[in-house]
Amino acid sequence: MMAPVLLALIVILGAAGTVLYLASYFWGGLLLIAAIVLHVWRVGLLKGSGAVRELVRRSLRSAAVPVFGIVMAILLGGVVMIFSGYNPFVAYGALFYGGLARNWHISVLNAAPLIFTALSVAFAFKAGLFNIGAEGQYYLGAMAAAALSLYMPIPGFLAIPVIFLAAGLAGAAWNIVPAYLKMKTGAHEVITTMMLAHVARYLSPIFIRAFGGDPSTSTHPYVTTRIPEHTMLLRFRAFLPEANARLHTGIILAILVALAVYYLLYRTSMGFEIRAVGENRDAARAQGISVGRNIFRALLIAGFLAALAGFNQVNGLDHRLFENLQAGYGWNGISVALLAGGNPVAVIFTGLLWGTLDAGGQYMSRTTQTPGAIVEIVKGIILFLIVARYIYTAFSNWRKRRRSRAVNVATAAADAAGGAVRGEG
Amino acid sequence: MGNVILETQHIVKQFPKVLANDDISIKLQEGEILCLLGENGAGKSTLMNVLYGLYQPTSGRILLDGRDVQFSSPRDAIDRGLGMVHQHFMLLDPFTVTENIILGAEPGRGPTIDYGAARRQVKELSDRYGLRIDPDAKIENLSVGLQQRVEILKALYRRARILILDEPTAVLTPQEVDEFFSVIRGLRESGVSIIIITHKLEEVRAISNRVYILRRGRVEGERETGNVTTAELANLMVGRSVVLTVERTPHEVQPEPVFEIEGLQVLDDRRIPAVQDLSLTVRPGEVVGIAGVDGNGQPELAEAIMGLRPVESGIIRHLGEDVAGVSTRDRIHRSISYVPADRHRYGLVLPFTVAENIALGYHDRSPNAYRGQLDYEGMNGNAADLIKRFDIRTSGPEAAAMQLSGGNQQKVILAREFSRKPTFLLVNQPTRGLDVGAIEYIHSEILAMRDKDVGILLISLELEEIFGLADRILVLYGGRIVRELLTDETNEKEVGLYMMGGKERSA
Repeated sequence: MMAPVLLALIVILGAAGTVLYLASYFWGGLLLIAAIVLHVWRVGLLKGSGAVRELVRRSLRSAAVPVFGIVMAILLGGVVMIFSGYNPFVAYGALFYGGLARNWHISVLNAAPLIFTALSVAFAFKAGLFNIGAEGQYYLGAMAAAALSLYMPIPGFLAIPVIFLAAGLAGAAWNIVPAYLKMKTGAHEVITTMMLAHVARYLSPIFIRAFGGDPSTSTHPYVTTRIPEHTMLLRFRAFLPEANARLHTGIILAILVALAVYYLLYRTSMGFEIRAVGENRDAARAQGISVGRNIFRALLIAGFLAALAGFNQVNGLDHRLFENLQAGYGWNGISVALLAGGNPVAVIFTGLLWGTLDAGGQYMSRTTQTPGAIVEIVKGIILFLIVARYIYTAFSNWRKRRRSRAVNVATAAADAAGGAVRGEG
Repeated sequence: MGNVILETQHIVKQFPKVLANDDISIKLQEGEILCLLGENGAGKSTLMNVLYGLYQPTSGRILLDGRDVQFSSPRDAIDRGLGMVHQHFMLLDPFTVTENIILGAEPGRGPTIDYGAARRQVKELSDRYGLRIDPDAKIENLSVGLQQRVEILKALYRRARILILDEPTAVLTPQEVDEFFSVIRGLRESGVSIIIITHKLEEVRAISNRVYILRRGRVEGERETGNVTTAELANLMVGRSVVLTVERTPHEVQPEPVFEIEGLQVLDDRRIPAVQDLSLTVRPGEVVGIAGVDGNGQPELAEAIMGLRPVESGIIRHLGEDVAGVSTRDRIHRSISYVPADRHRYGLVLPFTVAENIALGYHDRSPNAYRGQLDYEGMNGNAADLIKRFDIRTSGPEAAAMQLSGGNQQKVILAREFSRKPTFLLVNQPTRGLDVGAIEYIHSEILAMRDKDVGILLISLELEEIFGLADRILVLYGGRIVRELLTDETNEKEVGLYMMGGKERSA
């Protein structure tokens, strides 16, 4: 009797705390802490103290590498600053004050599209695929969202869900060709999706001219007309008066989608098949799992997820489609996904981290004259130190699988080297 | 025959878990063709990699021209006149023959390459050894046989006196094999000494002067090819590696067949027939053993039965219905179970948990899932039962399959396949690489399935295993069943003879 009530309380506290915190009501953090404490207590209640210890140990262990990476990167970034004549304490002070407090809303606005594109990359990752062209699907989503918002007569309450789905489907459709080619001919998705990403990017100016952008007028030559009010995502200010005026609820959608992706991957038979194909397609096939079908649907779902970033930008932030959008969310999503080790829930946090570093970096360079490039250095080091772990395990797996082949390659290299020595002599 | 040019003395190579070479001493004489014969995993490739400087031996010596040598890298070996042609060629496809041959040893001054001289040298080499090839052809336009020729020329260009070829005919068509043999003989005439690594008996007979037979890391014997029979070679190679303690008790066989194959033809990856006109019948409650030397169509047959490889022609009938065109998934769900030979590649998803591996294939139904949603409680509960029943040593259903020992990994596969109440069971080399205890357990489980009236087709390279489990023995040679024998009315010698090509098949 007690347990379900407790669970409901945890969920409510957690949800409320998250929403408040994201809207810069920082006391929402207290609710989050309370939810976590209650959760630990609940685990102890249901499964005993051993389970609590196990839970704490597991959480600490999974946090160890990322925290280590971040701390090291900050230290190393500080060293770089000292050597280039900047005061790291002043700079980092501004970075964290800007990113986590003063301009937290910008961090959140940055994070939402990153979470969508990173989920896309992470999802494909689980199927053993590299959806490097998330940027293209992002553009497609943005174009579809803008077109529907402007020209489809959809009644108010239906507008958002319909556009959300349609934008996603546009991104999924954009991946049909790479998915089909991969399935039938083995054409590598890295090549095909990346090429299509460039196609999508250069489609957008054409699209904008078709939908209201007029290069002959001096005002707003490269944007579409503004989308109607009822197609805009709800803003936090609608229910939290002190929230920043631009802050919209796309981040909430992103978090919900991340949870849905986690559910799909780890709690459904379909996700099981996709992961099995990703980990060992021969064994999956021998157990009757269709490799082609799972590759196909994994790439389409990845396209769907990346396109939601475009929906988020058009219907949440900009309310129109700019040429070039804010380019780069697709590419940066790759870093965010790698950082999260392909875990959809971890993507929420790495997305927020990246968003924070970007927002804080801008604030830092504005207020302290420390160049924003330093933030890129810090990001690079974090990525390296954390991803290195995955590279390491991936590498050792690869080495095991390909041992005989590696031996051959080494021989070939040595053959060539040996010959070279003789050639000189 | 000339002097001993290369010799190993008491070579031992210990890997963390495997003793790959155990006191191997071989001699290569100048101007001879020597074969190293052995099954997969017998230690042939390890020995060659030791000779070629890729591995350092744990102990033992290598003598070249009677003098002690140590190769710390392939470069040392090349400098001393050793050349190696790997099974997978190391060629750059878009480059020409000449460019590939001179790569790393380009003639010319400084940064420039004297292509004229290079072409001349390649031409000269190919004339001298009778290895005809167009020096300007691009590798990607050459047949596999010609690519191999380029690899040989590459070694000769680096002045190899000793040529080591690893499974040289594995990728060749029959016509290419004949040509390859004449090339090798030509090389011998020109004074090159040659070592060929192979598991094909016919090849040993066709080409070599002498042969060493390797098994389980040891030299099982040395023979002059001229006075050894194929049967003797096979017996040395297959040997008595399985210690059988499980007693095969008689069991009544149901008359109505559960599984039949008629006139099956299957192609291998090179699109050459690997299984031809093969027919067999398995009845409930019997174990039918397929005996044969490795490379006679076993993997292709297994894959065709499971729907993993297309059937060129023929009928595969399960419970009276033709399933040749049915998907793997449907075959599994109509109670055909499969224990694959390579458990890491085809049997398990190693990063998955034991429970997830047991669920694999049945991951969309009870007890593993309900209406498309995984039921981890059911999955883990089922796995826990099977862990107990099959005595799988693991920390629990949620341990990663990767963490288990080989024998326990095989038990996970057995638990998965045997618990699905199969009517027909295909078992391919179920005890490969396992220790005696695990072998005994797996054998007794297979016999227990037979006693439950399951029809079992056992493919094995180990004759002892076939004799220990099978009621009937079908001998597979060159992709055909050359002989059917009753286990109780034959012996290993007779089966071994048919495994070599069955000269008396009509007898």
